[in-house]
Amino acid sequence: MKDEPRNFTTKLAIIGSGIAGFAASIFAVNRHIATAQIGNTGAVAYTTGYLDLLGKMDAATDAVTDPWQALEELRKKQPNHPLSRVPVADIHRGFAEFTAFLGECGIAYSDPGDHNITALTPVGTLKKTLCVPATMAVGPRAFAARMVCVIVDFIGLKGFSGREVVANLRDRWPELSSQRIAFPDMPHGELYPEVMARALEVPATREKLAEALKGAAGPAKIIGLPAILGMHCPDHVRAEMERLTGLEIFEIPTMPPSVPGIRLRELFEQVLPKRGVTLIPQQKVTALTFDDNGATLCLSDSYGPIRVQAQAVILATGRFLSGGLEAHPQGIREHLLDLPVTQPADRDLWYRERYTDPRGHAIHRAGIEVDGAFRPLRRDGQPYNAGLFAAGIILAHQDWIRGRSGAGIAIATAFRAVAEAERFIIARA
Amino acid sequence: MADTPIATINFKEEAHRLLPEGASFEACLTCGLCSSGCPASGIENMDPRKFIRMAELGMDAELSTTPWVWCCTQCKRCHHVCPMNIDISQLVFLARSNWPEDKKPQGIVRSCQMILATDSTSAMGLPPADFVFVVEDVLQEVRATQPAFKDLQAPMDQQGAHFFVNQNSREPMSEPDEMVPLWKILHLVGADWTYSSTGWAAENFCMFSGNEEAWYEVIKKRVDAVNGLGCQVWLNTECGHSYYTMWQGIKHFGLTADFRLESLITYYARWIREGKLPVNCRWNTKGIKFTVQDPCMIVRKAFGESIAEDMRFVVRTLVGEENFIDMQPNRSANYCCGGGGGFLQAGMTEHRRTYGKRKFDQIAATGAAYVLTPCHNCHSQMEDIGHFYGGNYGVVHFWTLICLSLGILGENERTYLGPDLLALID
Repeated sequence: MKDEPRNFTTKLAIIGSGIAGFAASIFAVNRHIATAQIGNTGAVAYTTGYLDLLGKMDAATDAVTDPWQALEELRKKQPNHPLSRVPVADIHRGFAEFTAFLGECGIAYSDPGDHNITALTPVGTLKKTLCVPATMAVGPRAFAARMVCVIVDFIGLKGFSGREVVANLRDRWPELSSQRIAFPDMPHGELYPEVMARALEVPATREKLAEALKGAAGPAKIIGLPAILGMHCPDHVRAEMERLTGLEIFEIPTMPPSVPGIRLRELFEQVLPKRGVTLIPQQKVTALTFDDNGATLCLSDSYGPIRVQAQAVILATGRFLSGGLEAHPQGIREHLLDLPVTQPADRDLWYRERYTDPRGHAIHRAGIEVDGAFRPLRRDGQPYNAGLFAAGIILAHQDWIRGRSGAGIAIATAFRAVAEAERFIIARA
Repeated sequence: MADTPIATINFKEEAHRLLPEGASFEACLTCGLCSSGCPASGIENMDPRKFIRMAELGMDAELSTTPWVWCCTQCKRCHHVCPMNIDISQLVFLARSNWPEDKKPQGIVRSCQMILATDSTSAMGLPPADFVFVVEDVLQEVRATQPAFKDLQAPMDQQGAHFFVNQNSREPMSEPDEMVPLWKILHLVGADWTYSSTGWAAENFCMFSGNEEAWYEVIKKRVDAVNGLGCQVWLNTECGHSYYTMWQGIKHFGLTADFRLESLITYYARWIREGKLPVNCRWNTKGIKFTVQDPCMIVRKAFGESIAEDMRFVVRTLVGEENFIDMQPNRSANYCCGGGGGFLQAGMTEHRRTYGKRKFDQIAATGAAYVLTPCHNCHSQMEDIGHFYGGNYGVVHFWTLICLSLGILGENERTYLGPDLLALID
């Protein structure tokens, strides 16, 4: 009994299964490029569901209200920032295409608008973001109008507290209050949002919860819940809950593991194969080589070895959590090809003294360099390979955490990388 | 009452030994995706994240004795969703192995003992001669009562046959007529197949009991039986864990297997695509809805997405695209039903049903009237939780629906059909 390698041949291979990897697959599918995507579980499940473009320019400026104008400023102040290297029109197109795809597949999003939305965080603070899931859209509107609203949380649910949300917002939203109730048919132990969300896909559970919510609402006509309104058809679940309660209902993201992130991951994993993508999830590429015929990716799943042959490759392997970058005593390394990583000269310079320093940390701006076509560069400044492209937060010169720009960098650079990969594939043909 | 003490394992040390180079339980971010996605979370006040944290904290005595290791079905969903690729089921297997036999859940232990008791390797203890007799007896009855199958074959110990077909003991032991649809399918496609009088049984609870020696003994007997008949393919029928325990056992123990291990599901799909199984959905005139259960042991833990896709191709062909509703989540992300890992045999009924609530919700959310699954443990568990939680669905084997579609399902082969399906036949 031998493990025979399984072989796949494709035009484009995408390595990584974060937002950048999945966005690249979506853009490739929409352009009819034969695509394989491989990547470990990734950090998608940790997302709030909000799609940030640019929420903060730097420590010295306020939160960004108009991200499109801010992008122009970013271009002047930080020309090497990945968002400065993508035309604004492409960023807009990328966001519109990405959110439209999600909507077609069952998770409706707000369109990318002219201004950032002021959205609620899991702890009741506020942040700027560009697009929010439809299940969350009422929250920012209710906050803006200071409407009478009750935040409901649940006995046994950790990671989301209505009282905390209210305490942090009370001075700006006096009509906000909180209630704690029991979730139907889950009388004991710790509750997880994932479990509650799946239970709410059962009509009988919705009916029981609706009764409890009507009691908790009091005079309020709007209720905020932790993000638990279903997993694979959240808009339907929310509509049903509103029908059953006669209330307007919105979700607030929870701390990880959060439902909006799991929703996105499960959507990608189910929809992309139906659209023709060869998706190999939960696996890491262990070797990537190039020759005259293109690229060869090697990996193994539980069943045995797999080999993928591709003409072009997009590297969207993320940073430390996802394994794209590795921190060693001697410095930071790119995991797969040992690409040169722009980084502080010394490990002592990685972090400032206070972790919460609003100026951020030098290590967060480390990453790989790319040329104008988003091709990773070797130490001599030349592209590593004409068919290799990169996207997402593995790129240097950005701090997506402080910049509130993780999804923006992922979507914008994936859009460009796919465009360049398509050009390369066509030219090669 | 047994009083053999449970030795204390140094989990942290063992984890370093067990894990491949570069992997580490210390990499755990404590994010909780494992626990959030685990139906066993909360049972016995334990969950996968807590298990890892306790191991990291050196709480070895507590972990060595927690009964939770018998409630974890080792389905590897925690591993599947973990961004750091941490496989907790290995530690659970280690903990199970460490329990003295007299302290382990006796249902699993007895099932393993039964498997070892005969050359059949049957968990229900059916000896080879009885298996041969039952097969021959049922075969003669079918030939006599179903004229279309007067030439039906159920070959035994056929040297050089292409397929070595295994069989879950439940059929020959408790419901022998359930073997017939499978024989009919093999007959229709012209398969060159055989049963074996030894090593024919599918089930293998020795691995789940944490008894490596016994696991080896069972797999060795089965491998010897297939090698002895010179078959090219060991064809795993509608039983999930039999595949995994055989496949992993051969690799784990370094056995020489002169054959391939394949799943009947793959062949159902292939035979339909090749036109050898001319099934269709025209029989489903009432638009009866079906969903499918992905057994962990052959999907997430073995073949992955390819077999999940084959399963859906077969179901859609059988019931109609519009009558198939996928469970959420599904394929490799699917939840274990709670019947795996020996849980059904362990006698921990309350815990097992608590575990199964998530599966019940999944099924209920589809609104389907029937669940199809190629796994006997999934089958039994989903029936049980359906009754317990007041569900209104049935569970059917693939072979039943294939023969129903082909109009060849005999009267004694309709045990799992509800009145709605029976009405369509009659």
